[in-house]
Amino acid sequence: MTEDCATCPANASLAQMGVDVSNFDYLIALAGNPNTGKSTVFNALTGLRQHTGNWPGKTVTRAEGGYQFQNKRYKLVDLPGTYSLLSASQDEEIARNFILFGQPDCTVVVNDATCLERNLNLVLQVLEITDRAVVVVNLMDEARRKDIAVDVRALARELGVPVVAAAARSGEGLGDILAAVRDVVTGQASVQPKRVQAHPALESAIRDLLPLIEQAAPGLPNPRWVALRLLDGDLRIRQALLSGELSEIAARQRQAVRGFSRKIALQGAQ
Amino acid sequence: MTNNATPAERLLAQADLLRQALPGDFRDTLVQTLYHEAESMAEKAVQQGGRKRWDWDSTVDRLLTSPIFGLPLMLAILSLIFWLTIAGANVPSAMLAEGFFWVEAQGVALFTSLGIPWWITGFLWDGVFRGLGWVISVMLPPMAIFFPLFTFLEDLGYLPRVAFNMDWLFKKAGAHGKQSLTMAMGFGCNAAGIIATRVIDSPRERLIAILTNNFVPCNGRFPTLIMLATVFVAASFPPALTSVIAAGSVVTVVVIGIIFTLVISGVLSRTVLRGEASAFSLELPPFRRPNLRQILYTSLIDRTIFVLWRAIQTAAPAGAAIWLLANIYVGDTSLAWHVANALQPLGNLVGLDGVILLAYIIAIPANEIVVPTMMMMYLGVGMMTDMPAYSEMHTMLVGQYGWTTLTAVNLMLFSLLHNPCATTIMTMWKETRSLKWTTLGALGPLVIAFAVTFLVAVVARAFGLG
Amino acid sequence: MDNVVLGVVIVGSIGAIWVVLPRIGALALWRRWRDDRERHLAEDALKFIHAREWRGGRPATLEGLAGALGLPSRRVVFLAKRLETRGLIRSAAGGFRLTIEGERLALSVIRAHRLWERFLVDEARMPLADVHAEAERREHDADAAKLDALETLLGHPTVDPHGDPIPTGRGELARVESRPLTDWPTGQPAQIVHLEDEPPALFAQIAAEGLRPGQIVRVVEATPERLTLSDGGKTFALAPVLAANIFVAEAPAAGETVSRRLTALRRGETALVGALDQGLQGFTRRRLLDLGLTPGARITAELPSMLGDPVAYRVRGTLIALRRDQAEQVLINEAEPASQGV
Repeated sequence: MTEDCATCPANASLAQMGVDVSNFDYLIALAGNPNTGKSTVFNALTGLRQHTGNWPGKTVTRAEGGYQFQNKRYKLVDLPGTYSLLSASQDEEIARNFILFGQPDCTVVVNDATCLERNLNLVLQVLEITDRAVVVVNLMDEARRKDIAVDVRALARELGVPVVAAAARSGEGLGDILAAVRDVVTGQASVQPKRVQAHPALESAIRDLLPLIEQAAPGLPNPRWVALRLLDGDLRIRQALLSGELSEIAARQRQAVRGFSRKIALQGAQ
Repeated sequence: MTNNATPAERLLAQADLLRQALPGDFRDTLVQTLYHEAESMAEKAVQQGGRKRWDWDSTVDRLLTSPIFGLPLMLAILSLIFWLTIAGANVPSAMLAEGFFWVEAQGVALFTSLGIPWWITGFLWDGVFRGLGWVISVMLPPMAIFFPLFTFLEDLGYLPRVAFNMDWLFKKAGAHGKQSLTMAMGFGCNAAGIIATRVIDSPRERLIAILTNNFVPCNGRFPTLIMLATVFVAASFPPALTSVIAAGSVVTVVVIGIIFTLVISGVLSRTVLRGEASAFSLELPPFRRPNLRQILYTSLIDRTIFVLWRAIQTAAPAGAAIWLLANIYVGDTSLAWHVANALQPLGNLVGLDGVILLAYIIAIPANEIVVPTMMMMYLGVGMMTDMPAYSEMHTMLVGQYGWTTLTAVNLMLFSLLHNPCATTIMTMWKETRSLKWTTLGALGPLVIAFAVTFLVAVVARAFGLG
Repeated sequence: MDNVVLGVVIVGSIGAIWVVLPRIGALALWRRWRDDRERHLAEDALKFIHAREWRGGRPATLEGLAGALGLPSRRVVFLAKRLETRGLIRSAAGGFRLTIEGERLALSVIRAHRLWERFLVDEARMPLADVHAEAERREHDADAAKLDALETLLGHPTVDPHGDPIPTGRGELARVESRPLTDWPTGQPAQIVHLEDEPPALFAQIAAEGLRPGQIVRVVEATPERLTLSDGGKTFALAPVLAANIFVAEAPAAGETVSRRLTALRRGETALVGALDQGLQGFTRRRLLDLGLTPGARITAELPSMLGDPVAYRVRGTLIALRRDQAEQVLINEAEPASQGV
């Protein structure tokens, strides 16, 4: 989405989700568990003062904002805080659909450093859908108070995506987030997201479906995840498959890759 | 599969077949695998030091959610907030009112000296401007105190604890424990409270929460309650106690509202919305030190100014309408008094009067302007250029218009229970998309309000009161 | 006078037109009502015959059918004839048997019934004792596409809330071997696989006891008057009539060690989550799993509220309040004492 194009299919579907499509170079989604300081990160990056109190489920509407970093305009969309993307409650569906169909250039997953185990569950689920992600370990100040140390480099090795430590409340680590997001959207960061091996019976069912998915929607970036959703009987994904929405995503993905390599080629020629 | 099936259809058929072959609990195992992986990653990356400082959050938590102290503490915190609001808002309110009426007097004088016709002057200054002045001076100071305090509790993480403490009551009523969260939002604005019901997953319980949110007095109704509590209930106590008694009576009204919420929820879930309480899980997020700058910003800019702006938008036209009603004469009585007199028998029946009912009709767009409307009617436009002090108000209402304690009590009850404002009704419609439920949500409370005030009036009169 | 005549004529002709109107006319409505009733009766009859065949033994007789449907035998004869001409049943030695077509139809009605029961328990949260009657009403609208959507919504359940398998869309019905509890040896662990929902009065008693399919129980004592069961925590005393309506099978080996429920955990105690009760399905089950209540997770009871319901538990670093009904459905194992109090 490097060029402004309000009528491109990608932008048309964004407009359907109520995202203002004008004037930005990159689209960033902000996901995370409830009460991880996600809104603080959002406010710190965009300068907006979106208020959300400290109670579960408070983000009932999706907030949007923008920021500029090194002459590029980023649009940031704050998704509802969820523990998972599996049980398909209203807020989980909104978050899941945006990450899948909204095709953000990068998904930032905000985590609470004091209960990382619970938060990583969501990170792993996001990484099943997209590989362009940045993991933010927020509330580092709170963790220090509780004498908890988080080794973000070890975590980055495990997850295969950039991991940034932050304390958004005091502004700590914000610059690192911006840089990490830039590296992911421009392809400078190497991402090799961790994909969790399911138990053998499920894994073999997934393997059986993969070739069929390749036929139905060639070039899909996340066929494993789609296979899982189909086995789980996810209505929305079934629909998207039958209506051709999924193959559209695949087509867009290919386009993006081609456009991207063209850009690199031009840069190399200079 | 058939040959003419598309690749997508073949894929779906295959997925269905494979699913049946999978063990029945494969979803459980899937989540388990994810958490297991997350666990082992966290183990590698996280180190818990041995240094353990005093853990203030769990101590506070134990106190706030204590089976014994939880509910009394909640009431105490609520009372403290109202006391701070009432005690703190008194003086600035009076000062603001004085300022506005001074400006109004100057404006009228200027217009008169310019030779502008009396009806233009009256319409603009005594109608539109006075309406604005009233609303701002009555609403701004209490809101500027109430909202930051409330936002502080919200950001701290206290609201889920309230839901936790009150859950057993909601369970008995067949409702969802998170309904108290939506009620807490309703203190600010009922429309916001209704939007907040989205946190409730079960449609039945969500509908109950939507239909009963009105029984939490929103910020637009607090000025009415505060004024009545100060002028009537607290008037007979020594001045030093005034604000304490006033706060106590407002808390009593809020508690009555909570009781009504529970009773009506219980009735709904045993009749039209029959069903058991659904599964309930509520996270109690860790306490977080609220950011004071953020609190001031959001509570003053986002909430106070937002609510005030809405009030101003309705107050100006309402002020104009009242002025017109009060100054168009049919025979030797103004239109306003014609209507008020027509409503008098009904008002009398429920221990109120015609003027109050008229004020509530005019205030359908926004409850904030009930008191100003009443005052303007009673005072008669143009007769006074000064807002009466609370003590004068008492003398006037009791002496000239025959108000009694019954009138005040019933007005507080009516204000608590009556129909939601237009914005709230619109929000109900948007959230339910059902004419039936919106109508019930709009008219049900009105019927209840009339029934309750009628009963109170009958009982009070039987005992020779009122 | 003329006006009156004219009025009568107008009203009369409007009435006459309404009677014969094609789709909304009185005749058409009556005919539809009669057809629906016929169809419902036919479907109920097929269901009954299927149930007899499924259990094995003698085929359904005319008298049995009349009793089950609550019809005089004269009408049942008529009904049976119609079903036979439609090729759904055939007469066999001493009764009726389903044809292949008849079995297909019976299974689709059973599928609708069991899916609706699942829906009513999981999503509408109706009491287990009431769902059978409601599902009886809903089962006859068995539009295949609608049922598939319902099945997907429910997450493709395999058994209904009574423990009976749900036929697949292709008409396959899994067979679960089971015996009535009265035939089960004392002392041997058994898993409840089916609760008979007819007659409703008996079933309501079983449901009120809190017995659910999937539960693992043991017969502690059997006397002619009374059967005493234990699920490890609670004991149940049942009259033999009730016990005969509870069907059990061999308990899976692992299930035996899990016996306590989360409600048994006292303040400050820690345990490991063992499993979620099989009676807990649908959205609630998924939600609890997503919140981290997966087998093996450490769980500590931290804050009881007024009257002890709900209780806030700490799981994976977060406090989560659960009502007693949900905590009752979480099975726990003892935590190894060494790591207690982290």
